[in-house]
Amino acid sequence: MNNLSIQMEGVSKRYPHFFLDSISLELREGSVLGFIGANGAGKSTTIRILMGLVRQDAGSVQVLGHSMPAEQTAAKLDIGFVSEDMRLYGAATLRWHMSFVASMYPRWDQAYADTLLRRFDLKPEQKIKGLSHGQRVKAALLLALARQPRLLILDEPTTGLDPVARREVLGELMSVLTDEGRTIFFSSHNTLEVEQISDHIAFIDRGRLIALDEKEDLLDRWRRVRLMVPPNAAVPQLPGVVEVAGTERLPVLTTSQFDPAVVSLCQNRGVTVEAVDSMTLEEIFVANVQSRRELQPA
Amino acid sequence: MRLFNVRDGIVNAAIFLLDTPKKLYILSIFNMHTGPSKIVLSQTGGPLYQQIVNQVKQKIAVGEWVAGEEIPSIRQLAADLRVSVITVKRAYLEMEHAGLIVTQHGKGSFVAADVAAGPELFEQEIDGHLEEVARLGTTMGMSEREIVSRLRKALDETENAPVIPKSSKESL
Amino acid sequence: MNSSRINLAVVRHLILKDWYLNRGIILGSIPVGLGALALVLTGKPVTFMLCIIILCMVIVGVGAQLAFATTINERKEQTLAFVMSLPVSWREYTAAKILANLIIFLIPWLLLTAGALGVLLLPGATHGLLPFTAIMAVEMLVTTTLIVVAGIITESQAWTMAGIFCSSLGINVLGYVFAHLRGISMHMWGTRVQWTSTACIILICELLTVPLLLGATFYVQSRKTDFL
Repeated sequence: MNNLSIQMEGVSKRYPHFFLDSISLELREGSVLGFIGANGAGKSTTIRILMGLVRQDAGSVQVLGHSMPAEQTAAKLDIGFVSEDMRLYGAATLRWHMSFVASMYPRWDQAYADTLLRRFDLKPEQKIKGLSHGQRVKAALLLALARQPRLLILDEPTTGLDPVARREVLGELMSVLTDEGRTIFFSSHNTLEVEQISDHIAFIDRGRLIALDEKEDLLDRWRRVRLMVPPNAAVPQLPGVVEVAGTERLPVLTTSQFDPAVVSLCQNRGVTVEAVDSMTLEEIFVANVQSRRELQPA
Repeated sequence: MRLFNVRDGIVNAAIFLLDTPKKLYILSIFNMHTGPSKIVLSQTGGPLYQQIVNQVKQKIAVGEWVAGEEIPSIRQLAADLRVSVITVKRAYLEMEHAGLIVTQHGKGSFVAADVAAGPELFEQEIDGHLEEVARLGTTMGMSEREIVSRLRKALDETENAPVIPKSSKESL
Repeated sequence: MNSSRINLAVVRHLILKDWYLNRGIILGSIPVGLGALALVLTGKPVTFMLCIIILCMVIVGVGAQLAFATTINERKEQTLAFVMSLPVSWREYTAAKILANLIIFLIPWLLLTAGALGVLLLPGATHGLLPFTAIMAVEMLVTTTLIVVAGIITESQAWTMAGIFCSSLGINVLGYVFAHLRGISMHMWGTRVQWTSTACIILICELLTVPLLLGATFYVQSRKTDFL
């Protein structure tokens, strides 16, 4: 019962000014994967390849057991897709969009759609062009959710939403997950929400996947260690250190492989550990990216 | 111990037969503990799984959740709190190790029948914290006197903390 | 699911969607079609040719407008992502765009062509004009197909406008050329319907161009690696 919703292996795509380099990732049914990356890092390209809208130059893509892009029609019957650059037809009403999507999806649940209309405070008879940005996003999500998809692929679903709307949307997405067979793959700039709702996290930078981890592992492994180094001692070589900041006497080490034993290691060298701080997902992402860019300047 | 009743029968049937949106609707009507769980998470309160563990401990300590009572499933709580399933899973695992809850495969999760409630729970927690302080202090090279003086300072600062009333065990 | 077969139900939904969204343009072409038919049916030979040419351009104009609205605008308005997120592949998308446009075009076109040819077959009419009229009518079909195909393949305003411009020019140029070809001009003003080999060849070539264009469209679309 624990199949893979998504399986990408060695997926590459070359553009004139950008190269998506050998992306491999897997997503188990029933989990949430948060995809974080700077603008232009390759998030949208990866997502379009997942949807079969762009054909990869190399590598295999399996979504819900279907090979993409060849079997995209079958796969898309079970997928709800919302992307930040996607628009609905301005001249038509939300009601029209609902019946249009319903006509293509046998599992469309009108009762649930009506519930979402109330919850998202949307008026079905209103034309799309009359909606605010936040309402449009919620409308697109309604259309994606009411078709009862097994997999939700969302490209920045909450970008541009005010905090209240964002909370509503996240709540709705999470309620989807009470069904174990449903999976969510989403990209976002909002690291707080990714940190909150994701089971797994992937970092992408300059077309490369630079991390793919369980969220709790990631948050456990990364630490900022503040030390006080006496004049005659040296900063100890700690494993996994990606950055040394601060001063010589008061260095601040950022490490990706923290272990409590590290603290005693420092003591033995005569170095005082002032503090061990955990890091937010955003700090981890930035530290990860910066250290890699230093090693491989573009 | 709660008795199995008609209401539970309907709810269980709903869980089994209906699809997700209708399921949530039925459960919210019956307002079981599978409704909004009244655990409140904060963005700045430290690791999420730790917040969940702490709040569940408090609920047990004040008697909101009693021994043997059913608690929300991992997925249900994750949806309520808008938190990843893995985070809730981690919290539940910790609580199981600490003997606070038990999870029966296929049946759900329950507060442990022999869980220490009220002050005893906090006593366990205090011991745990004190041991942690001692360990951290010696690791950081602090002397016993230093550790004790810091404890005194902390006590001074928390003079106005609320006190949980001691309740007799018989009432459970 | 066999991925190389077209899902007709989906195609139907896409066609109905385009017709609904562009009902303004479509309904607006009805008075044009009826007006064209009425003018043709008056049967006056002098105004006949003139009217035919003008009205053909209007019909192609409406066809072009619909082609624009259904193809270029999907990309301009960024609704392409929404359509392609539905259980739709490039096959259904392409088939739906072609059919949505051509069906709407074919209705007035068939009426007009039948009307014109019918008028020409009436006793006393210039029967000789029949081959030329038939050739020009099919020319309208080819032109419109070309515009629709350009819109689907290029999705570019610039290229499709160029296609429209060349096609309009083409109609006039070809009309002039055909009218002066010996195989046709010889019998144009006669009272007998005369299908010379020239006329036949031209007509057959025109008729073959349509499936060729459509086949080329499907081929080009199948080679596209980036649908978005």
